[in-house]
Amino acid sequence: MTFSDLRWGDGLIAALASAAVVAAFALAYLPDTKASMLVITQTGEPPRQEPLDRTREIEIQGPAGITRVQIEPGRARCADSPGTRNICENSGWLQRHGEVAVSLPNRLTLQVQGRGPGYDSLHY
Amino acid sequence: MAPVTTAFTTEPDVTAPSPDTLTQRDRAIAALAAIAIGVQVLEAAIPSPVPGIKPGLANIVTLIALLTLGWRAAVAVTLIRVVGAALLLGTLLSPAFWLSLAGALAALAALGLLRPLAPRHIGALGLAIAAAMAHITGQFLLAWGVIIPHPNLPLVLPPLLLAALIAGSVTGILAAHVLADPRIQRHARLARHP
Repeated sequence: MTFSDLRWGDGLIAALASAAVVAAFALAYLPDTKASMLVITQTGEPPRQEPLDRTREIEIQGPAGITRVQIEPGRARCADSPGTRNICENSGWLQRHGEVAVSLPNRLTLQVQGRGPGYDSLHY
Repeated sequence: MAPVTTAFTTEPDVTAPSPDTLTQRDRAIAALAAIAIGVQVLEAAIPSPVPGIKPGLANIVTLIALLTLGWRAAVAVTLIRVVGAALLLGTLLSPAFWLSLAGALAALAALGLLRPLAPRHIGALGLAIAAAMAHITGQFLLAWGVIIPHPNLPLVLPPLLLAALIAGSVTGILAAHVLADPRIQRHARLARHP
């Protein structure tokens, strides 16, 4: 009998370990990146929360004009903002936890948040 | 008085080291532990692209000790290796040492569970993968529970598990090659029929 031969247990353990790795990746990274809340922060105002539950539009009055925010289930975007370079609009749909759009002329940030683990960076 | 001393001298002295107490098995454990310490120290000198991930080549020696000398010998070799390498690397009683020890104990526990199935149903590859996964899990639990109890630490576990799977496969294949060597096979037979 040689020890170098592969046994059925080797295949079983390799399969179980691979399944554990896949499951760990799925459990840790798949859920809860979906946004469920829009947080609007404007200079001089308390932060305001809008749940991303149904389609609607809200308008925010700022120093430079009106920022029109479009809200749909699970996502939100800056549809129109007074900034001439369209930076706020070009942020696109915000749908994952932590994504942010900024309108500097109107002194406001739009950030969507989810329930899940929000992290900025990992450190060792 | 005299008869008493005579009685003592005629009985075998259990405290003195006799030639029989240091068996070939003990020498094999010491040699394997020395090899394992050497491997671990050499491996520590190899720069790793990701901190915390290394191949764990010293586990080959643990597997060889397990499959040729048995589980108790594997425990002895591994614990001597963990302490000895920590002494040489200057990490004794530091977090790195405790992580190394936690991983080693978890791996030994997994090997102890699977030992009855080896080598008939499980070869070196399966043992190495199971030991590597147990190793990283034990390390992670210590790191998360004691050293860095941060709620988001589980996010680093999946890449570590993947690294353990790859490292375990590599060490398992290497261990199988070493065990296929006729010189090791001779020791394996010797261990079965002492």
